[in-house]
Amino acid sequence: MPKVLIIDDDMTFQTVMSAKLKEKGYETDLALNGAAGLLKMAESRPDVILLDIMMPKLDGIGFLKQLQADRPSDTKIPVFITSNLNDLDKVSEGAELGVRGYIVKSDESLDTIVSAIDSVCHSPKEEK
Amino acid sequence: MILAIITALSIALALGGAGTSIYFYIKDKKAKEVLEKREQDVSRRMFELAILKELGDRIGYSLDVQQIVDIITGSLHQFIEYAAVSYMLIGPENVIFKIHLERSVHQRFVNEIRDRMLGSLSALLDREFDKKDVKEIVSGAIIIEELDEPVSSFFNIPLVIDEKVVGVLTVADTKSGLYKEEEMTILYKIIQQASKAVTSLQGVVKAEQAKVNAMVESMADGVVMTDTDYRILVANPSVRQVIGLSNKKDITIFDFIDNLEGKFDIRGRLEESVKLNKPFKSEDVLIRDNFYKIFVFPVTTSVPGTPDEKNVVGGVVIFHDVSAERSVEQIRQQFTSMIVHELRTPLSGINKISELLRAGPTKVGKKEYAEYVRMISSDSAGMLNLVNDILDVAKLEAGKFDVKKQPTDLKAVIANRIDFFTPSAEDAKLSLKVAYDKELPPMVPLDELAIKQVLNNLLSNAIKFTKAGGIVEVFALHHAAGGAITDELARLKDAPTLALAPEQLASAPESVIVAVSDTGGGISEAGMKELFNKYKQLQTTSETGMKGTGLGLAIAKGVVEEHGGFIGVVSEQGVGSVFYFVLPLAQSTQ
Repeated sequence: MPKVLIIDDDMTFQTVMSAKLKEKGYETDLALNGAAGLLKMAESRPDVILLDIMMPKLDGIGFLKQLQADRPSDTKIPVFITSNLNDLDKVSEGAELGVRGYIVKSDESLDTIVSAIDSVCHSPKEEK
Repeated sequence: MILAIITALSIALALGGAGTSIYFYIKDKKAKEVLEKREQDVSRRMFELAILKELGDRIGYSLDVQQIVDIITGSLHQFIEYAAVSYMLIGPENVIFKIHLERSVHQRFVNEIRDRMLGSLSALLDREFDKKDVKEIVSGAIIIEELDEPVSSFFNIPLVIDEKVVGVLTVADTKSGLYKEEEMTILYKIIQQASKAVTSLQGVVKAEQAKVNAMVESMADGVVMTDTDYRILVANPSVRQVIGLSNKKDITIFDFIDNLEGKFDIRGRLEESVKLNKPFKSEDVLIRDNFYKIFVFPVTTSVPGTPDEKNVVGGVVIFHDVSAERSVEQIRQQFTSMIVHELRTPLSGINKISELLRAGPTKVGKKEYAEYVRMISSDSAGMLNLVNDILDVAKLEAGKFDVKKQPTDLKAVIANRIDFFTPSAEDAKLSLKVAYDKELPPMVPLDELAIKQVLNNLLSNAIKFTKAGGIVEVFALHHAAGGAITDELARLKDAPTLALAPEQLASAPESVIVAVSDTGGGISEAGMKELFNKYKQLQTTSETGMKGTGLGLAIAKGVVEEHGGFIGVVSEQGVGSVFYFVLPLAQSTQ
């Protein structure tokens, strides 16, 4: 079962997203901020990461930079930024750090987010 | 024109005087002499007045000596007879010799006057002058070679301004014996008065200039003034700072052009302003980390008699630093976008939950269903709190936050809040304690709802920011006017973790002090300053990652101040914090 790591301090989003993903046959792992996310990465390797931007302790951009520095092999894991911020600066910053997509949470349905994950997980190029 | 009117008036007076004098001639010959003398006096005084008035009007604040002498010489003919009037002034590069001919004379006549004047200038100043340095200007009647008449009458007066000889003035004629004592006296007087007027005017202008200079020097705004050729006349310390040349001695327009790095076309704007005689105001311009609004004005002097015609003599550029205003504006914008984000997050959460619930009751498990409902209620409660806080802040800002003080049992209010927060303290594994001073008055004038709001805020913060195993304690004590806070604290059963800073309370009147202490991480000194500022709050995050709207403390401050009291905090990093508020006991005006 492909595993999705949700790094987000919004517990409601974590809960509902995780419920939806489980329903679609995914396994999920949860982290409340970037720092906790990095710890989770050390425990087990997810197949996809959903990453919020504004979080306490270590924000989404900080998480991506730290990941590049600490675990360069993990940068192959597709990352989707899921944020309520519709901020072009952050989009370009994320793009520079190699993220697959930028999803404005409040604008997209859970189904849309799931189909975005489907598109990278079922791709034959990606390792299971 | 003014001169013409006054001259006409003096003629009228003279005629009037003459008419009267005929009558007196019949009566008494002696009286006639007296009157003739008076006539002359009046006429002369009018003339002097006219010249002085003309001086004042035409010259204004211009201190151009040449211009002044021009006026004197131009008016002199009405009173003194001469073939030529001339002046010689010492200029920076040459000696100006200007001669006006009333009648045609021979060139030798002109030369003789020139040489004589040069001679007296040399004598006056004890200095040799070369004929080559004399710049000669001849006006009036033409030179006729056949009229070879020598200078037979010659009268020379030194021009003295501010006790310094600046030149000489001469009247000369081909007729002999012209300049007698009376004419000389008058001429002396005119020159003397004009020089006195100019000297005192110079003094006034110098004083004014010193005042203006001092003002410009001390101005916070950068000021630079140039002439029409963009030579820098004034550049005050502030403007030197703007372009980062505080220590450079001679600043030129090129220093400005180079150091403004193309962000502001100072020369172009000056040119436009000077040529079109039009002021200019820029948008905010970023120069070396600061934002400036830049103003450009033409500098004009008005020419009297022609009020519409302004003479542009240069331009001034003012750099007004707007960085502070901009940073406030920026903080405000950040605050607004944070609020929007804080509202959008729970709203989007609720929206997502509804998406899950839409699958229908059979698809959602009972446990999940209960969880979703709990989340909806907590998310919406969060939004409601935020909206209420924003409204309270808005009301406090507008002065419309109504505080209705009534004698209230403060102990009961505190106890009520302790009960309310006990469950969340238990959840966070904290012990929540309370201590009352036995001298606490039974009734305290306060607005119960508003003070509950303050306590809610202080208590929820204390619980949020204290780790499991910590202690949160509320204590209330009576403070006597001038009482020692340490003695008052000693009356409490459990001493609070941090002593209240006595100096902060020293000047308080008789009051009650309510404090909430915690054993949390404490607040940095920099953090304390921003604590009660509503725009600086939203980024605070608790130990557990919980977010607050951060408006609570700003509201609490407003509420306490509406009660006539004040709010404060003492904190030590690694030990904890004590937030306290002071409510005065005396019924204030409200």
